[in-house]
Amino acid sequence: MAEDLGRLAGAPEDPGRLAGVAEPGEIIAVGTRASGAGRIEPIEAPQPGEPMLRWLSRARTIDEIEQELGRIWAQPNLMVDVDGERRGRQVAARTSVMNLVVIAQQPEVGERAAETISRLTGRHPSRTMIVLSADPDGPPWLDARIEAHCVLPRADAPETCSELIYLTAGGETGRHLTALVAPLLIHDLPVTAWWPGEPMLDSEPTDDVLEITDRLVVDGSGWSGDGLARLRQLARLYDLHERIAIRDFALVRQSRWREAIATVFDLPEFLPYLAHVRRIAVTYGTHDETGAPGTTNVVKPLYHAAWLASRLGMRVVTPLAPVEAKGPAKGRGGAQGGRLRPGERAPLHRGLAARLRAGTADVSVVIRPVASPMPPGTTLRVELLAERRGSELRADVTAEAENVHVHTWLDGIEALDRTFKAPRRSEVDLLGEALEFGGRDPVAAETIRMAARLVAPVVQGRAHAPGTDGSSATGADPD
Amino acid sequence: MRDLRLATEHRKRAATSRSLDNPLREGLRLERVPDPAAFVLFGATGDLAHRKVVPALFQLWRTHLLPHEFTLLAVGRRAYSDDDFRRELKQAVDVFSRVQPVDQETWDDLASRIFYHQGDFADPAAYASLAERLDGMDEERSTRGNRIFYLATQPSQFAEIVAQLGRVGLDHEHHDGGWRRVVIEKPFGRDLESAIRLNREVGKVFRERQVYRIDHYLGKETVRNLLVFRFGNGIFEPIWNRRHIDHVQITVAESIGIENRGAFYEETGASRDFLQNHLLQLLSLVAMEPPATFEADALRDEKVKVIRAIGRLTPEQTRRDVVRGQYGPGWVSAKPVPGYRAEPAVDPASETETFIAARLTIDDWRWSGVPFYLRMGKRLPKRATEIAIQFKEVPHQLFRDSATDPEPNLLAMRIQPDEGIMLRFGAKVPGLGIDVRNVTMDFTYGSAFQTDSPDAYETLILDALLGDASLFTRADEVEEAWSIVDPIIGAWAEQGVPDFPNYEAGTWGPEAAEDLLAREGRRWRRI
Repeated sequence: MAEDLGRLAGAPEDPGRLAGVAEPGEIIAVGTRASGAGRIEPIEAPQPGEPMLRWLSRARTIDEIEQELGRIWAQPNLMVDVDGERRGRQVAARTSVMNLVVIAQQPEVGERAAETISRLTGRHPSRTMIVLSADPDGPPWLDARIEAHCVLPRADAPETCSELIYLTAGGETGRHLTALVAPLLIHDLPVTAWWPGEPMLDSEPTDDVLEITDRLVVDGSGWSGDGLARLRQLARLYDLHERIAIRDFALVRQSRWREAIATVFDLPEFLPYLAHVRRIAVTYGTHDETGAPGTTNVVKPLYHAAWLASRLGMRVVTPLAPVEAKGPAKGRGGAQGGRLRPGERAPLHRGLAARLRAGTADVSVVIRPVASPMPPGTTLRVELLAERRGSELRADVTAEAENVHVHTWLDGIEALDRTFKAPRRSEVDLLGEALEFGGRDPVAAETIRMAARLVAPVVQGRAHAPGTDGSSATGADPD
Repeated sequence: MRDLRLATEHRKRAATSRSLDNPLREGLRLERVPDPAAFVLFGATGDLAHRKVVPALFQLWRTHLLPHEFTLLAVGRRAYSDDDFRRELKQAVDVFSRVQPVDQETWDDLASRIFYHQGDFADPAAYASLAERLDGMDEERSTRGNRIFYLATQPSQFAEIVAQLGRVGLDHEHHDGGWRRVVIEKPFGRDLESAIRLNREVGKVFRERQVYRIDHYLGKETVRNLLVFRFGNGIFEPIWNRRHIDHVQITVAESIGIENRGAFYEETGASRDFLQNHLLQLLSLVAMEPPATFEADALRDEKVKVIRAIGRLTPEQTRRDVVRGQYGPGWVSAKPVPGYRAEPAVDPASETETFIAARLTIDDWRWSGVPFYLRMGKRLPKRATEIAIQFKEVPHQLFRDSATDPEPNLLAMRIQPDEGIMLRFGAKVPGLGIDVRNVTMDFTYGSAFQTDSPDAYETLILDALLGDASLFTRADEVEEAWSIVDPIIGAWAEQGVPDFPNYEAGTWGPEAAEDLLAREGRRWRRI
């Protein structure tokens, strides 16, 4: 069968890697054409869950892209062998549930995103556009690689089909993302924009894209520096685009932590303490021996504090600022002192501190680094201290391997001890979830806004404005 | 009176609902992990436990939806060591788990939380030691006094077990937060009288809000989708009534026979096994009024109201509107199969029905005059569960000259297999004349969402652990349902010996089932 494949318009050996072989106007199907029957058939029997049927084409204009998509889906009489027994199967109807726009600044990012998305085809049949700008100073041009896949989840289940359009825009074209994307969106379906890497959230082209977007997906834990400048821009989007729903993987990853913390206050005897939280301390890991502010991404630890502060209706009095004290933090004993685990060391700097107000009482928020072998920016511990009518409740939430532990003491006596599984979710899982529960999430919005309030405001409007000369779409890292 | 009691309990529960008070809970719904709890499984060595309950628990464990402190205490008569019992369950999970292969490490993790407790269900001493053991677990395994008693035993043992639990105080909820719940499998009673008696026995020990009666159909993804379809969309509700709907058909077809459950089936038959619970549940979800909230009791109040409005059949009406059948030998899926009377553990002259079709009416404003046709059968040509809403014909036929008669619109909700929703309407055949042909607009679940739906038992067990009773049947609901089935069974007893077998395996049931619709100018939808 493999030799037959070669006869088909120079199809490549490996059906998974189709890039760059098709010329405009040519449809390549990974399959064999039975003589005279005019059918496109797959090479091998379908493997449940594997992309089974793929087509590839290329185009140079938006009109051509639409034409090619039409041609691909008009392929008649698609047959699939099921268990060696020939059953007629036709991609008669396709269901799409969304448009996904991926803004990639480097080709590698685009390829990785495509890989992630291809693993979601079965779950979320969609039209995906990966947009990449190139050669910003050259003449305008457009190159589109069009792929269509159908996945067979089970031999007897209907196939789910997805389209992937890999758009590379050169010159001026790359600065008009909306003009590129808008005509290709499937009508009336939600539009999700996924911006892996370092999104340029305050550039004009971005504003245009977000205008036609319902959801924005980012990962704040991967942003360069401390990530806070971008976080501030992210929060600002809520003001600029009323309808937008934002999903930050960094925040989503913490759901089991939030569950663990919430559990403590499910107990009726502890619930009243929530109104009397006096201190929130979050410890994160850093590889930087000095622990100087700005060197490690602190978006994740900040989100913990911001979530608590926003849920508990706190107001920011003094935003986060470096703690002045010199020398490594000393363990103050008990649960709230900087207890270190094997492999951890207190760095020179003591992190950031802020003052909040809950009702009429002050709340201190501390975000402090610990030199740890864990990936930088990982939350290691969240501590809560609440004082009510002379009695003190302390909750200490820590991570260990795949578990989150919560320990609680009431006036120094251990009161509750629980463990939650918190397996690390892959990018595929997170994107899948983001697409599934993509609606507006008020808790996330309040958390992100609170996080931005916790970060000291910037004097000028735009914190780290990338070149405003219009060349920003190709995006050198602005941080 | 019962309503009053239920209403008061409901208010009490709302007041103690913790998740509403805890501001940190907001938005965490999806991640909610149940409280630490001991899951006490009666009948743990039985078929249901092996096929359904334990694989569902494993799946919940695998997806991190059970608390870390989760403890399964299996109660059975036979002697096992913890390890032997774990090994036996592993074999069951290897066969019945929805996700294969079973990851050994994940299983070991769960298995370390499984313990075996030997005891006779009728022996008071066994319960005393059970109570002691559970107290010990609260200490050792931090289960915090939360206990769920899952009765996967023979129905005849439900009352006994519940009474014994009460005798040693295992029903008693402590003021310090520990909850106690009991999950009871179907069939709940075998007629109205026994259901009332069982409800009374259970009610002596547990409060209604502690009781979770399982009808696993309600846990099925598509059945839950029925509610979303009806009440999450604006366009269907305005036409969901007698002015627009001609009739409704509900079909539950099974191609399998009774699968070694001869003894059980001889005692129950299709009317008790399906009509009283699954079919009437589906009917109530199709026909109920919109509940004010999605809370357990709001939902169940509406379901009870509609079941109460179903016309009770007189013996004369039963003769006319209910068809019973029993399969003889035949061919199913290209294989010869024996007749019901030749199945193991079945009386060679058995009068048990394996097929039932009924025409029911709902006597209320919405449905007056709209017949609901229900049918369920074993050894039918294929496995299919479907609800079909047949709309009325257009008031005035414009396209009489069309080559094919335009048919009225139809909305079909397929529950299994190929879950989905289909709408049939007429369209013009392209060409110069005006020809109308029926076309279908088909939404298949699998094509929009990859079908990794949870098994009904996973949904229900998790709900019970979380204390959400929406998908469980309430005492009054069970009793109302029996009060529909009882007169039918009573009328049959008077009718004398049926001419069984009256349908061949692999066919769509007895002729009389066709006549039931044909005499009103209708026919069963071809499935």
